[in-house]
Amino acid sequence: MKFNDLYEELFYKALSIRLVEEKIIELYPTDKIESPVHLSIGQEAVAVGVCQELRTTDLIFSNNRGHAYYLAKGGDLKEFFAELYGKNTGCCRGKGGSMHLAATDVGFMGASAIVASTIPHAVGAALAAKKLNKNHIITSVFGDGAVDEGVYHEALNFASLHKLPIIFVCENNDLAVHSRTTERQAFKILDHAGNYGIPTHYCAEGYDFTEVYRVFSRLVSEVRTTRLPQYIEIKTCRYMEHVGVNEDYNAGYRSIKQIESWKAKDPLMNQKALIDKFKPSILKEIEEAVMFAEDSSWPELTDLLTDVI
Amino acid sequence: MNSLIDKFSGSVLSYREALFHAMDDALSGNPKVIIMGQGVTDHKGLFGTTLNFSSKYGRDRVLDTPLAEEALAGIALGASLNGLYPINTHMRVDFSLCCMNQVVNLIAKYKYMSGGQFECPMLIRMVIGRSWGQGAQHSQSLQSFFAHVPGLTVIMPSHSDSILKDYHYIVHSYRAPVISIEHRLLYDVKFNIEQNSVYSNDDPLSSHLVRNGNDVTIVATSIMVLEALRAAQYLSTNAGLECEVIDLNCVSHPDKEMIMNSVEKTGRLIIADTSWQAYGVCAEVCRIVCEKAPSLLKVPVLTLGMQPATCPTAKTLEDYFYPNLQTLTGAIARIVSGKTNHGIPLPDEHSMADAYKKFRGPF
Repeated sequence: MKFNDLYEELFYKALSIRLVEEKIIELYPTDKIESPVHLSIGQEAVAVGVCQELRTTDLIFSNNRGHAYYLAKGGDLKEFFAELYGKNTGCCRGKGGSMHLAATDVGFMGASAIVASTIPHAVGAALAAKKLNKNHIITSVFGDGAVDEGVYHEALNFASLHKLPIIFVCENNDLAVHSRTTERQAFKILDHAGNYGIPTHYCAEGYDFTEVYRVFSRLVSEVRTTRLPQYIEIKTCRYMEHVGVNEDYNAGYRSIKQIESWKAKDPLMNQKALIDKFKPSILKEIEEAVMFAEDSSWPELTDLLTDVI
Repeated sequence: MNSLIDKFSGSVLSYREALFHAMDDALSGNPKVIIMGQGVTDHKGLFGTTLNFSSKYGRDRVLDTPLAEEALAGIALGASLNGLYPINTHMRVDFSLCCMNQVVNLIAKYKYMSGGQFECPMLIRMVIGRSWGQGAQHSQSLQSFFAHVPGLTVIMPSHSDSILKDYHYIVHSYRAPVISIEHRLLYDVKFNIEQNSVYSNDDPLSSHLVRNGNDVTIVATSIMVLEALRAAQYLSTNAGLECEVIDLNCVSHPDKEMIMNSVEKTGRLIIADTSWQAYGVCAEVCRIVCEKAPSLLKVPVLTLGMQPATCPTAKTLEDYFYPNLQTLTGAIARIVSGKTNHGIPLPDEHSMADAYKKFRGPF
C-alpha cells in the first residue's frame, strides 16, 4: 500500500484494526471464535501512534486487550485470525487465543490476562537489554486498572532504580472492567509515577494517532539516546463492553454522552473520504485472513502436551 | 561428564560450599547469568552461597533487590525472554508466596501459551527453614504447590553432589524454569564428592536410588533422605532390616519406574517428605503406585511428614511437629513386622534438629 503521507499511513493502520475488530463482532455469533474477546475499538489510535516509531527489534509487552498492539506492531493478520479460531496455524498454535497473542518475529512479546503482570516482564527485558548492551528499547503497555496493582509500583521503582531503557504507556480509558478511576485511585497517576523519578508525559488526544505519534516518537528518541525510562499517560475511550462484542451503555456505569463526544473526534468515524479510499483493500485483506483461518486445521491430540516444559 | 563433579571429586563439600561453587560456576561459565535476590550482595551472602560474588563478578551481575518478590519474578521472566539467565533467590520458601502470580500464571505458562515461541530458562532458589523457632512463616515446605503446576520443574537436592550436578546442568543446558528448594538444616552437612556415586551417574533432574534393601522402600525428599538413611543404618545394625531408599530429588518429574521397581521388590512403601502429607509428595507417590500396580503392596502405605498444623515456635512443640529418628524407625519396624508391638528397640531421639546442631539461628 502506497500512502501520500504519514497521516494516511497511520489512518490506514488504525482503520485496519477497527475493521478487524468489527469483523470479529460479525463472526462472533457463529461461535467460530470460542473464547472471550476484549476488543480494542476506540483505542486503536493509541496502539498505532505508539508502534509507528518502534522498530521490529524493539520489544513491546501488552495485555489481554491486545489485538490493537499485536497488529500495530506488525503481527501477521492471518495468524491472528487463525489464533482466534483456535487453529494450529495461529501465532500461538491455538494455545494462546485472543488474550495471549504473541509474535516474537516482530517484537510483540506476549499478552497476559492477569492485569499488570507483563509490566515486570518489560522491565526485565529492559534489564537484559542494558546488561547485554543491546540497542533496542522496551515498551510496556497497560491500562489504568494496572496502576492499582502492587506489582506496577514494584516494577516502576526497579526500572527507575536501575535506569532502564523502557517506556511505560498507561492507556487510561477510566475503566477497570466497570469501575471508574475515581472509585479506585486516591492519587493522580502521573504525580505518583513521577515520584519514582521517571519523567512523565500526558496525551489527552488518544483518538488522534498523529498526536500520539508526535508525542510518543519524541519519547522513543529520548530513550534511544539516554537509555533511561519515560512514562506517558494517554487518554483513550473503550467503546465496547469490557469483554464481548456488544455495547453496554445501558448498564449505567457510564454515560453515552461521554462516548459520543469522543466519537465526534474519532477520525475513523468521521473521515469518510479516507475510509472509502482504504476500506476495500483492508476488507480484502481481512477476508483472506479469515479464509486462511477457516481453511487451517485444528491442533491435534499430539499437540496437547508439547511445549509444556 | 560434569565438570563440577570432576573438579571436586574426592573432596568433602558441605551443602553450603556446594551451593557456593555452583553459583560461582554459573557466573563464571556463562556471562549471561545474573543473580538477583534480597541480600545476595551483603556480608552474609545468602548464607554464604553468594559471598563476595558482587566484588568478583560486579554488582551488574549480582544484584541486591527491593523487597518486591512479584516484580522480581516477573523481571526474571522478562530478562530471560531477552537473553539473560536469571537466578532469583528467596531466603525462605514462605517469601515466594508473594510471587506466586508470576510463577504460576506466567513463568510456568509462557512457553505453552505462546505455542512454543518463548523459552524462559531460569533458576529460582528457595530455602526451607527449620528449628531455632522458625515458626509459622519461616518453615514451610511448599514443593507440592509448585510441582502441581505443569511447566515447572521442581527439585529438592539432598546432597552436595546433587547441587553440583543439577545446578550445572540446569544453568548451562536446561531451557526451562526450575525451582530448587534447598533445606537450611543441610547447609552445614558435609558430603563426600565422588566421581561414581549414584548422584553423579544418574540423569540430572531425576531420582536416585541411594540404598539397596529388600524389606521396605522409603521414598524421601530433601533432608528426609538423610533421615531415611540414618534410620536404615540403625535398623540394619540393630534389627537386621534392610531398607531401600530413593531420593526423589526431582519432585515434579520423579523416576516412576525406579519407584515401581523398588516396590515390586520390597512390597512395602514408606514416603517421608519434608511437608504435610495431604495433597503433597506423599499423596503423589501413592497415586503413582496406585495407578500403576497397587497389588504390589503387601501392606498399606505409610507416610511421614509434618503434623497437620501450622509450625509452632516453641521447641517442645516443634519436636512433636516433625518426624524424628524414633518415629521413622518406629514406622519402618511396624510396616516390616506388620505389628505395632514389633519388639525392635527404637533409638532414643526425640528432636531431629539436634542431630543437625550446627544451625543455631538467627535464621
